[in-house]
Amino acid sequence: METLPLTEPVLLILLSLAGQAQHGYAILKDVEAMSNGRVVLSTGTLYGALRRLLEDDWIERFEEEESPRGRQAYRLTAQGRRNLQLEIQRMKHITRLASLRVARQES
Amino acid sequence: MLEFYRKLLCLYPAEYRRVFGEEILAVLFQQREENSKRRLRNRTRLVMRETAGLLRGALQEHFRTITEIHQELSFATGRFAMRNGFRFPKSTIVFMTLILGGVLTAIQKGEDIATSVPHDIGPVAPIHIQPVHSILLGGMPLFFAFFYAVGLIGWAILFALRRSGVHRLDRMSTDQE
Repeated sequence: METLPLTEPVLLILLSLAGQAQHGYAILKDVEAMSNGRVVLSTGTLYGALRRLLEDDWIERFEEEESPRGRQAYRLTAQGRRNLQLEIQRMKHITRLASLRVARQES
Repeated sequence: MLEFYRKLLCLYPAEYRRVFGEEILAVLFQQREENSKRRLRNRTRLVMRETAGLLRGALQEHFRTITEIHQELSFATGRFAMRNGFRFPKSTIVFMTLILGGVLTAIQKGEDIATSVPHDIGPVAPIHIQPVHSILLGGMPLFFAFFYAVGLIGWAILFALRRSGVHRLDRMSTDQE
């Protein structure tokens, strides 16, 4: 079960799906690109995370219409999007708080 | 190489293989195609990463199936090593040392008392008493093993019921691949 706060790989997977539905390989590449090569998921790790997210109903799986071999793709569900927004709010709050505290300390 | 990955996929539970098996192989195939023109070192690194990922994933899925714990165990993300919940508390070592010290001191005291008692009185009837320390030392490993097993079972039950505190700690931690 995924819980907040999210781990970085899971957060990046969800962010990858936030813009558009993606298939497994595209998610791998997107995660790597978003993290500037810092987070490189193995296929086993990616599918472990996808399985959990599917189980928790944060994402859903569907067959891509235009793919020749009925390739499966993933997209966020309403619940997944809501949880992602909650996480972003949490991170914003932390960032704001950290900025204030650090600024106060410096001044 | 795909044959090798296919064999590794056999380590996963059947249900998982049925749902994701072909998809995982398709991703691995795409990766292999993309990396075929890269240097040998990069290709080797990729194979090692994927192999480790599949092995960890298989272990994680079996663990999940057995314990019905849906929480990421985090072999996958390296968090396993970082989790406070899996550390052996330092205080336990101190307490165990104190207890052991106490037991050994008691044995020593017992021996001192036994030697200080005059032997010429002699028992009324022949009594075969085993020395205290031999009983204690002989039984101690069994004693510790028993309580260790009881503790382990108790912890496993709490972990399965998500009451061990590990899950709460897990939610507090951050990590990266």
